[in-house]
Amino acid sequence: MKNIKKYLTVLRISLQNAFVYRSNAIGGLVFYSLFIFVFFNLWRAIYQGGEAAGYSLTQMVWYLCMTELIVFGCKNGIYNEMNEDVKSGSIAYQLMRPYHYVFYQFFNALGSMFFNLIIYGVLAVVLGLIMVGPIPNFRLSLLPWGLCSVILGMVINFFMMMTLGLTAFKLEDNLAFFLIYQKLVFMLGMFIPVEFLPKWLQGIAHWLPFSYVAWAPAKLIVAFSWEFFWQVIPIQIFWAILSLMLALGMYSYGVRSLQAHGG
Amino acid sequence: MSIIEIRNLNKLYRTRVKEEGLKASFQALVRPVYTEVQAVKDISFTVERGEICAFIGPNGAGKSTTIKMLTGILHPTSGEISVLGFNPAKQRQKLSYHIGTVFGQKSQLWFHLPPTDSFTLLGAIYDLDKSTLKKRVDELTECFELGDLLKIPVRKLSLGQRIRCEVAASLLHSPEILFLDEPTIGLDVVVKQRIRELILRMNHEDGTTIFLTSHDTGDVEQVCKRAIVINQGQIILDQPIKKLKYDYLNKKIITVRFNLEQHLDAPIGVRVEKTGNLGACLSVDTRLISIDEAMRWLIAQGGVADITVQDPPMEEIISTIYTTKAVVV
Repeated sequence: MKNIKKYLTVLRISLQNAFVYRSNAIGGLVFYSLFIFVFFNLWRAIYQGGEAAGYSLTQMVWYLCMTELIVFGCKNGIYNEMNEDVKSGSIAYQLMRPYHYVFYQFFNALGSMFFNLIIYGVLAVVLGLIMVGPIPNFRLSLLPWGLCSVILGMVINFFMMMTLGLTAFKLEDNLAFFLIYQKLVFMLGMFIPVEFLPKWLQGIAHWLPFSYVAWAPAKLIVAFSWEFFWQVIPIQIFWAILSLMLALGMYSYGVRSLQAHGG
Repeated sequence: MSIIEIRNLNKLYRTRVKEEGLKASFQALVRPVYTEVQAVKDISFTVERGEICAFIGPNGAGKSTTIKMLTGILHPTSGEISVLGFNPAKQRQKLSYHIGTVFGQKSQLWFHLPPTDSFTLLGAIYDLDKSTLKKRVDELTECFELGDLLKIPVRKLSLGQRIRCEVAASLLHSPEILFLDEPTIGLDVVVKQRIRELILRMNHEDGTTIFLTSHDTGDVEQVCKRAIVINQGQIILDQPIKKLKYDYLNKKIITVRFNLEQHLDAPIGVRVEKTGNLGACLSVDTRLISIDEAMRWLIAQGGVADITVQDPPMEEIISTIYTTKAVVV
């Protein structure tokens, strides 16, 4: 019980901290709008040729708003912070506090994720309504279920990034991992729905975690079905747990080698 | 009762080495070569409850490595450590509730938020309930004269103000031992003095044991009762500060500049190390002549344009320790 209180306080303080970066948030909002606007025009041009892979133009634009929401929502300095913590050795000082570093950073990130989700969420809805109007057959009562998937997607993303960030314990420069990971999430769902990919690639994508970060949750928001929901949620939970395990494993491996050999 | 006990402590680091040149770079890629560096060599000491102990030595002497082993961050290669009856390497989390740390070069406060928010967070991390935390914050606010500082974002505080908040933050959970690693680094003389007074006051009022590393001899002289000198991973001296002061911190260096050319006839205890056209560098042995007398003599020469008085650097003190020890042996 005490532990939960501890981490909730971390969440609260990091939320307060998120409010400080106002100019950062405004810059992000402008960038987000610009991004959506450019791709809105691109998709409009593509849809001149008719509907594609079961998504209407309206759905497609909303899909893009949602995947971008997830990506922008996940944006936080934690990856850099952890990288720096490990490289500069200041992670050592975090070790002598009575908390678990992995969970501390998770709740720390959660603060800025909630903050981002709200501000970008409002913007996404406004932009979507202006550009293409409401989502067809959208039911507000189903939104919370879609949001569950969004949050799971963000959790997977966080722990994947953390695992990669913590490779800094062993590797001098791990930026490449981060870039590759980002591109994978981008290609397998964020930029275009998985259905648009060639069949063989779709098959591979279903076995990998990347498309469950953005594709699955965004699809649930724009075209909710219980069938898809029950298909996706267990897989997301599986990847969330696995990525958490990976992060914990990477962390304890890193700390052990730090303790044995020094930073 | 001793609360820190260290026996025959050793720490070996493994580092990668690479010869010069491109060919060696390839070799290192395929088959890395490691060398072992012994950061701490067979050191033993104990610290009693309520003591203020200085751990001094030049950069790279093994000070931080030892502190990291005492706090459980690093595991010793061999030897025994007991801090408050805990084994730091195995019971790091349990130990962390009883110790506090301040690292002069690393902040534990949230940069963009006022200290009071960081205090709330630290209170939760150390499982303090609301009323305990409030009482403790009030106490520390009074003691450290934090007052208005608590509501100002940390980034807007001066270094001196920030360090005061840092020390207060490390004391929220009333630790039994406080580890201070270079607490006065980068501070001006007045603020340094203030921090030293606070450290003394805390030791007096709460009975907090203090383990301080520094390479500022001033910190050591004014705050500590005992000093352990470490160099190249080995303890070369462990004695009360009074004795250390008499034996080794007995020199002041005076740099003086004159308006007109002077012929210096130095009294006993003052040695002219270097003379220039219009200036001189003198060393004063405070066992033979007080700094007061030395200054008076110097002023009496007339035409003084500028004077600076300095402590000899740590490196010099250490080499003195080596030479005098060699003589004794």
